[in-house]
Amino acid sequence: MPDAVEVEDVTRVFEPRKKKDERVVALDEVSLTIPEGEIHGLLGPNGAGKTTLVKILSTVLLPTSGRARVCGHDVVEETKAVRPLIGIVFGGERGLYWRLTGRQNLEYWGALYRLPPAAVRERTRTLLERVGLADRADQRVEQYSRGMKQRLHLARGLIGDAKVLFLDEPTTGMDPIAGREFRTLIGELKGEGRTILLATHDMVEAETVCDRVTLIDRGKIIATESPRSLGHVISRFQRVDVEGAPEPVLGRIAALEGVSAVTRTEDGGARIEVSEEGATAEVLRRLVDAGVTSVRTSLPSLEEVYVQLIGERGLEV
Amino acid sequence: MTRVAVTLNVMRNAFRAGLADYRAIFTWKSWLAGWYLRVIAQVAFFALIGERLEDDEKTMYLLVGNSIMIAAVVGVFSLNMTTSERGAGTLPLLVASPSSPVVVFSARGAYLAVDGALSALAALAVAGPMFGVSLPWPDVLAVVPLTGLVAVASYCFGTFLAGLVFRFRSVNNLVVVTTHVSLMAACGVNVPLSFYPEPLEWLSRLLPLTNGLLGIRGVFGGADPTTILGDAALEAAVAVAWMTVALATFNRLAARGRRDGSLEFAS
Repeated sequence: MPDAVEVEDVTRVFEPRKKKDERVVALDEVSLTIPEGEIHGLLGPNGAGKTTLVKILSTVLLPTSGRARVCGHDVVEETKAVRPLIGIVFGGERGLYWRLTGRQNLEYWGALYRLPPAAVRERTRTLLERVGLADRADQRVEQYSRGMKQRLHLARGLIGDAKVLFLDEPTTGMDPIAGREFRTLIGELKGEGRTILLATHDMVEAETVCDRVTLIDRGKIIATESPRSLGHVISRFQRVDVEGAPEPVLGRIAALEGVSAVTRTEDGGARIEVSEEGATAEVLRRLVDAGVTSVRTSLPSLEEVYVQLIGERGLEV
Repeated sequence: MTRVAVTLNVMRNAFRAGLADYRAIFTWKSWLAGWYLRVIAQVAFFALIGERLEDDEKTMYLLVGNSIMIAAVVGVFSLNMTTSERGAGTLPLLVASPSSPVVVFSARGAYLAVDGALSALAALAVAGPMFGVSLPWPDVLAVVPLTGLVAVASYCFGTFLAGLVFRFRSVNNLVVVTTHVSLMAACGVNVPLSFYPEPLEWLSRLLPLTNGLLGIRGVFGGADPTTILGDAALEAAVAVAWMTVALATFNRLAARGRRDGSLEFAS
């Protein structure tokens, strides 16, 4: 059985349309495979190439070179085979017909996905119930809250019974409760065996729902791992939490090569952040020599990994 | 479902969606007060020129031409479809759906043809008596299908233009206005075709409105039914031709959008 998504050395270059514009390499020989049933996060700052990759996989943009397949079908040559298998879900306010009701939106897209009229009606009803919009189904979308619009987006992406869903920053601008509900829905979709590619800035979202994440920056893939094990990719960025360490000892540790920061915590302890391979061992030796025994080392969270690998620029989103 | 049944179902739903969209914009009251009054004012403006010239024939000519022009004006609004889809962020979703966007567009804005024909006929019915133009009964009934043909042909032409402006959102309004003015100037609305050099007259015959309007003038002038039917057939042929060109070019233009990346996702 082929992987749900296969990306092989895909490059996309945007040539300048005007003299003042610059040539942009949005994707640079990107390779990625996503097995069936996986929720795969695509993490990166603005301009990293996330949306470009999603656009290529959803057949609205051609790669400059390389190949990409969805469920074994080439996204350039076999668009007719790919399109019924995919669903696209945007974040934000666009992508819906605001003057139509939620039901009318879904019925319209259902017809475009070539479903028979009876199946469109049934699936529309089921999806509206599933995303909690059954009571507001006949209200115009312009009267929906942001969270409701987002749920309708998801229902629209599912109207064709997509095997592979591309979610492009789907929780942008949603409040925390709506975001959590949305993530629960995404988790349910995995239970149905659907494959999901989730392009996001949201670390919590990626950590909560994704089986694996790919970090991408400036069109290049930096790492692909499960959110928990991604910390090992940058194991040199460890942190050491200590209790009862005397101030002079901490001062000497702060001066060590490979120690990037030493900060006092509210409970009187301290956190030592290490940014070079081998420095952790030296920090631990100095602490033990000083008689400090309450010591704990840990790997960074996904957010810390993101910041370390992509840099502070990545937070400017 | 057969392929034809699937396509018809897509078109039926696209038409329903377009109609629902339209009904959300206009109520009967806003249609009458916001649109129909403007239509009457436009037709009356041109008819008044004939009145000032104290020439009943010219008044009749201008009144009929500008009433039927309304059908073309509304029909050509179909070229706004791609821009409004782009604005709503639904254009890439349409392109990525299993249905052809041009099949969707061919039906999605078809309410414009209905609206255009009704607006034109309503203008004729009200402005005609206002300016003493008699509508010969029952011959005037033939004007109804002819106006419908003009509206449909203009809609097909607008759908073709929608494909052309597919990638150039910024020029959309310019194309709408230029098309309206060009049709008004070249299709015998205010100036007879014979006024222009013969090649231009033939070129006008390829545009929507020209042949249908000639047929309608023929109805008012008591022309031979064969001549009127000939004009109607030409208007229908123009409609089919422009829709065929739209179907042939639209997907190619969408493919170009895939190449140059002009199909933006929502942001």
